[in-house]
Amino acid sequence: MSPDLERTPRNLLVSERSSFLDQKNRISSQLDQLHFNYKVCVLLPECSSAPSHLDSALNTFSSFYLIRKLPLYELLDTHFLETVRHGGVSGLSYRTRLDEDNCVALMPNGRLSLSLDKDSFELLGVEGKPSRFNHRTKSRFVVCVDLTDSSMAPGGRGYQRLVTGLTSRLPLKTDFLMSLPAGGGASVQALLSRYDWSEHRPEVSSCSLTDLLCPAPLTSDPPAPLTSDPHRLLEWLGAVHAAVSCENSSSSFLSSLVCPEPNKKLSHALRVSVCGLLSHQDVQKLIQEIRVYLSVSPPGSASWASVTLHGFVDSPVSWGGEEHGVLRGGDNFLSLMMFPDQSYLLHLATGAHDTCPP
Amino acid sequence: MRRADKEDEPAVYQRVVLKNASPYHYLKVCLVLEDESTRLSAVELKQFIVTGLNSLYGEVGAALTFDLLKYDEDTLTALLRVCSRGLVKLWSSLTLLGSYQNQACAFRVLQVSPFLLALTGNSRE
Repeated sequence: MSPDLERTPRNLLVSERSSFLDQKNRISSQLDQLHFNYKVCVLLPECSSAPSHLDSALNTFSSFYLIRKLPLYELLDTHFLETVRHGGVSGLSYRTRLDEDNCVALMPNGRLSLSLDKDSFELLGVEGKPSRFNHRTKSRFVVCVDLTDSSMAPGGRGYQRLVTGLTSRLPLKTDFLMSLPAGGGASVQALLSRYDWSEHRPEVSSCSLTDLLCPAPLTSDPPAPLTSDPHRLLEWLGAVHAAVSCENSSSSFLSSLVCPEPNKKLSHALRVSVCGLLSHQDVQKLIQEIRVYLSVSPPGSASWASVTLHGFVDSPVSWGGEEHGVLRGGDNFLSLMMFPDQSYLLHLATGAHDTCPP
Repeated sequence: MRRADKEDEPAVYQRVVLKNASPYHYLKVCLVLEDESTRLSAVELKQFIVTGLNSLYGEVGAALTFDLLKYDEDTLTALLRVCSRGLVKLWSSLTLLGSYQNQACAFRVLQVSPFLLALTGNSRE
């Protein structure tokens, strides 16, 4: 059998154990580096409904805007640039596929990243570099512009060149998702009024689970994180979130997926997911609330809590502004398992076209 | 499997980087049939995929174990799990499966990932 048939694209899993109380822990910066968050999923054991403070954290995620057919030169509009320079504005092209179409991302620090195919890049005529994930031919190019830089001030050379490129040579229009800092809505009203736009709140859905099989180390007192085999833990978590049954006998024809042994049955658990363009301030706040929930819960009830954060598959940038690509999949997610003693187990996963997570 | 960057301190900090260590790959597939009202049960679908493996890779290929984790009979969408070494074989046999009970069919592979958790948060859906 040819060994080539057995090869799969490279994937990376970083598994970190630390504590929130450790001053050198980097969890906050690691969370901030996943700029474009699509979905956050929370799993709380021995809980049938979210406590009120957690519920309010889940339901008060900031809203975001969807602007239809936004010409990209509008992102260089003078008034909009003022808002960008203050920081906190992030945006992503919507329904553009990273391996096929031209994609745009605007990061909260003011960096604009355009992932373009060869023809579009040559038409645009702005300095860029080939994608680091090109295979044999250079088919994709990345243009990165720092909108807060002095050369990008209106009237500057770099600014003029990019504006001319986006207006006359490559008039790109795309549906655009935008997230603004609190109180930032007024400053972009002029921009929004020129196009078809709508404001959306992230969608929250929750599901109460009963008789859930859970790996026993998590339910022991004190809980022992399943550090020996992170893939099995993530597989079990994935099965819970995908509503896949883990109760299969070894002789079953259909599936042999089982919960890692030893395991224990939980009488109930709560699974909540929030979908949309999520800001990392809201995600950090949610994690804080869950930490509080764990610390005040009576012993024997909530012995752990899990938060999974999925990045956008088609975002041109991933961890820390590094380039992201889609080969067979564009996974970039992180899974955080928290314990009442403020320790945590963090998993960061990426696919083939990604750099190593921080 | 390679391990790199392992740091141990007297405190609880530990970091392990695993490369290509996932034992399984997961696929989300959808079966598209010429006659859209045809329905298959989970057992029939799995048997159909096994026959596809058989026709392309023979008896030894058909012995490749894969799991049908979840199946939606209305949309004919399934979640499959296969060991990583068998991904290419399974995927190629799904690609080349062209007919089911004398009607044309096609498997659309919607998402592939070494992590089942990644299949639950796909922004392309």
